[in-house]
Amino acid sequence: MGVQGSSLKRYAITRLALVIPMLFILLTLVFVLMRVAPGNPVSASLGGHVPPAVIKQISHQLGYDKPLYTQYGHYMWDVVRGNFGTTISDRRSVGSIILVNGAATLELTFFAVIVALVVGLVVGLLAGRYRDSPIDAGGRLFGIVVYATPVFFLGLLAQLVFGVWLNWLPTSDQASPITQALLKTHTNIFFVDAIIDGNWGALWDVTKHLILPATTLGLVYGGVFIRLIRINVIRTLKEDYIEAARARGINERSVVYRHAFKNALVPVVTVIGLQLALLLGGAILTETTFNWPGLGHELYIYLQNRDYAAVQGIVVLFGLVVVLASIVIDFVNAFIDPRVRY
Amino acid sequence: MHLRIRVRYLVALGAGVLALAAVAASAALSAPQRSNASTILDGTTDTVTNVDPAGNYDYGSFTVDILMYQHLLDFPAGSKVPSPSLATGCTANGAQTAWTCTLKQGVKFSNGDPFTSADVKWSFDRVNTIKDPSGIYSLLSNLGSVTTSGDYSATFHLKSPQSTWPFILTTGAGFIVDHKVYPADKLVANTDVGSLVGTGPYKLTKFTPGQQAVFTPNSNYNGSAVKNGGVIITYYSKSSTMKLALQQGTIDMAFRDFTPTEYTALGKTTGIRVYKGNGVVIRYLVLNVKRAPTNNPAVRQALAYLMPRQDIASRIYHNQVTPLYSMVPAGLPGHTNAFGEQYGMAPNTAKAKALLQKAGVKTPVPITLWWTPSHYGDASADEYTEIQRALNASKLFKVTLKSAEWTTYSKTLGTQYPAFQLGWFPDYPDAEDYLAPFYGTKSNFTSNGYSSAKMDAILKNEAGAKTTAARLGFVKQAQVLAAKDAPIIPYWQGAMLAVARPNIAGISSTLDPTYIMRFWELTKS
Amino acid sequence: MATAAATTRLHRRTIGLRRAFAPIAEARGFARGMLWTGAGLTLFFVALAIFAPLISPYGFDQYQSGGHRFAQLAHPSHSHLFGTTVQSTDVLSRIVWGAQTELEVVALALVFGLLVGVPLGLFSGYFGGAFDRGAVLFMDAMFAFPPLLLAIVIAFLLGSSVNSGVLVAAIAITVTYVPQYFRVVRNHVISVREEPYVEAARALGAKPTTILRRYVFFNVVQNVPVIATLNAADAVLTLTALGFLGYGVQPTQGAEWGYDVSRAVSDAASGIWWTGLFPGLAIVLLVTGLTLLGEGLNETINPVLRKRAFRRVDFAASPSQALASETLEP
Repeated sequence: MGVQGSSLKRYAITRLALVIPMLFILLTLVFVLMRVAPGNPVSASLGGHVPPAVIKQISHQLGYDKPLYTQYGHYMWDVVRGNFGTTISDRRSVGSIILVNGAATLELTFFAVIVALVVGLVVGLLAGRYRDSPIDAGGRLFGIVVYATPVFFLGLLAQLVFGVWLNWLPTSDQASPITQALLKTHTNIFFVDAIIDGNWGALWDVTKHLILPATTLGLVYGGVFIRLIRINVIRTLKEDYIEAARARGINERSVVYRHAFKNALVPVVTVIGLQLALLLGGAILTETTFNWPGLGHELYIYLQNRDYAAVQGIVVLFGLVVVLASIVIDFVNAFIDPRVRY
Repeated sequence: MHLRIRVRYLVALGAGVLALAAVAASAALSAPQRSNASTILDGTTDTVTNVDPAGNYDYGSFTVDILMYQHLLDFPAGSKVPSPSLATGCTANGAQTAWTCTLKQGVKFSNGDPFTSADVKWSFDRVNTIKDPSGIYSLLSNLGSVTTSGDYSATFHLKSPQSTWPFILTTGAGFIVDHKVYPADKLVANTDVGSLVGTGPYKLTKFTPGQQAVFTPNSNYNGSAVKNGGVIITYYSKSSTMKLALQQGTIDMAFRDFTPTEYTALGKTTGIRVYKGNGVVIRYLVLNVKRAPTNNPAVRQALAYLMPRQDIASRIYHNQVTPLYSMVPAGLPGHTNAFGEQYGMAPNTAKAKALLQKAGVKTPVPITLWWTPSHYGDASADEYTEIQRALNASKLFKVTLKSAEWTTYSKTLGTQYPAFQLGWFPDYPDAEDYLAPFYGTKSNFTSNGYSSAKMDAILKNEAGAKTTAARLGFVKQAQVLAAKDAPIIPYWQGAMLAVARPNIAGISSTLDPTYIMRFWELTKS
Repeated sequence: MATAAATTRLHRRTIGLRRAFAPIAEARGFARGMLWTGAGLTLFFVALAIFAPLISPYGFDQYQSGGHRFAQLAHPSHSHLFGTTVQSTDVLSRIVWGAQTELEVVALALVFGLLVGVPLGLFSGYFGGAFDRGAVLFMDAMFAFPPLLLAIVIAFLLGSSVNSGVLVAAIAITVTYVPQYFRVVRNHVISVREEPYVEAARALGAKPTTILRRYVFFNVVQNVPVIATLNAADAVLTLTALGFLGYGVQPTQGAEWGYDVSRAVSDAASGIWWTGLFPGLAIVLLVTGLTLLGEGLNETINPVLRKRAFRRVDFAASPSQALASETLEP
């Protein structure tokens, strides 16, 4: 274990060390991109009501007319000390945006992943098991069509059917106004906060609000999972040990459920990690459709307001999450398969 | 073997069902924590910049502040005249350069601190010290200093005479804060809800930026009792989501802002009522007097002849706006249909053609009209398409439409655009606030190059007029001159619209030109 | 005699081509179904796009005809098969012209992506070194962005300086796909460059560009059609997402389905379903078509997944006959 252990450690350190330059590139990229765009947060919030002279004065006060590299230097120096800035349009610290709104996105994507997994696993397993049968064809078609449906369109349909016509479920926000007003904040994840307080009425309310957005987002990405899991099941069913099990006379049902499925599930973690970037992207659209106060939604708003600090912070956070997730996955793979390490 | 698996599945299933039943049962049994039956649930698409009054200059923040703070003078429902609120009265000296206000006694802030003249001086001083990037301090540009005399008298020393100073006292720059709590040189953070004390009808008990603001009645409020148990404002980024929420009953009412089609559709929905009152928001087309082709007065006047006001109002806005014939909207003292009188109430192609011919202008005149998406709502696109259609149809103009995103647009305005869209909602409901920011050489924020000594003189006289009658006379003169020079063509005036479910009463009485939603007068049944 | 020889020559010349397309002819089962359905759907929209001026009853922003204005938000009727929008434009026309917009952007994005990603990948994979390490690091950083996020930021930036919304959207989408093309090409190049025939070429003194051109490029390019079709599907989704959020193609520049859905949201809750349902369905159908085409291609070409057709084995009368028929069979 000695030699293997040290090469694993080396691999881990190498990958983690690469995160820093990657982050640096992301931050710089976004910084430059934001500054290149015309307009700044001051004109965004003030224009049309205040004389241009005042706008200029305020821009100067905030340092937006300094040369690019000076602004960049100040920004990086702040970042190193943990200060990601404050927004202009609503005076929030980027840190608090990430904590509060990030929690909302986390809540949404967590439940969306669960939905996607359930859909992907059930349909993918069945499709792979009964390859080339109508079940397979139907499952694959379902996966393809559902992925082809834009998240915002599916969300709109869901809101119409379940919200307006049937009036079963709420169509926006994380909780009803009064529930949200009374809920105490612990983790900013409403679901968890309700449990912590033992507030079952609030928990039910929060769950109702989660159903449509999480299902919409999860269904669309379930389509992706279906394909990946199906292929995996097919590959696993071709393996020698499955042949061996069949040859030994174990009945088909046991072979499939006991042996094949378990091994087909192993790359699920990898699959989730790979789709994380897509999922976060889809979250932007879902949050905008359902007025869900997550980071994607905030990004959309801050982008319109040219609130650089917030946009930089959110984009880099998204990037960081994906990078870390891929490292964890690669690490898990490296742990299992020594060939993968550098 | 199979049986065991089956049994296991059944047990798991049964446990799941039982758990769900337990949750559902407890949910049904546990009623909402407190009886909030009379809390008004409002929805809006506005945003809040800062709660601290010295740090905001937008309507969303103003709505929050008007619930928590008071001014020395305020507008009671239906009145267009600043009336005593925290002050019992304000009088000017002969030259109108100093206004002295006598303050109400026995008023307490929501935290128990007594209200005195020290708070007045503190509140105004800090606006100018902090000089917040929102630009709110620009409203106090005429204020020299504030002095106090005893605990219940404060005097405002102005830089130049202004008869409308009481109106300035009613704006967002005039909210009174507690000098013991609010720092003189810094804003109170939005998260520090406990420190955001005021004398207003409500206290802010919870503020989640971008999501909701929760208000409960202020027990120390010096006015008549608040008619409901509290207000919760929920913030939406899209009006379509807000419309769904209103239809489902998640919110009881919505104020600002739906698209015209949404208002029309809501008006037709059973169980929902659209309330319409006299509004003071205006929309206008600014013309650059220094750039071709609008540097030619004949071209500007021809555009004034051709503006399709009725079509815009009925087709695009479903009559939720009314055609506007002067920068000063109808409903404010001094309003006169200057453009209607000079150019007619309906578009007149013949007269426009004659005018251009006489001036020797070759037609069709190529002109680029700029507009901005999203900031003024999606209907902007339709609005300018309509104007383009009308102008092109007259064969006198050939219109190219261009748009720019708000942040670029608002910074550029007349510095580059030859003709562009703008909207305005007033700082205070008086004609002065519709004239000076557009026609005064120094105060013109549109950068359209308009500068007229004659107009400046009229505005100066208006500011220093000794009597209301005299002042309104100057207001009329200004409007007539503005129509003749036509550097700006106003075209619609928006109604003040609010939408509510039948359980909310009292909205009609708060819809007036002061454009304040007085939540404390609404009842919920 | 002459024609027989000519046929044999033609046979020999096209053997590569026929070999390439053989798997498609051999496709059976679901893969075949996917391929043909996908191709059909895709071709349908391509036809709409190309023949838009002939098929569409009205222009994409046409609000009147013969001096008579269209009604606003009118129900589907025989004059407006899919109804009209809030701007009095015809929904069906916007679907047809929208097909042109979507495919225009996607085609541009694919071309740009290939033009940038493939040479970069080839160069980086073959020559390696510092350039390669730097490029990989940069591309990995790009991969970390959720693609839609990157597209939004780029579309947002370019929207103010570039006038053509189609170009803006195309570039935004290109940027999100370049890392993918780069990575695939680079990995393939790395594996190919160690092949014996490449080594042999090098030993013979062939220049790097020759090697790249002759051996590596064609080898690598095989991967591209499948990725390109599947990317086209994603590109359409990204484009409509941009349109939904208000970036990319502006309403005055062309019809875009995602934008139409965003305008339809407020109509929908009032019972006006035609302004949103048709654009939404159009997106679903086009993306489904492209995906089916891509998946179908993948299943038929990819040797791991493809299922060969079962042919009856005919034992030849004599060995020589079997031999003769063997040489010309793919």
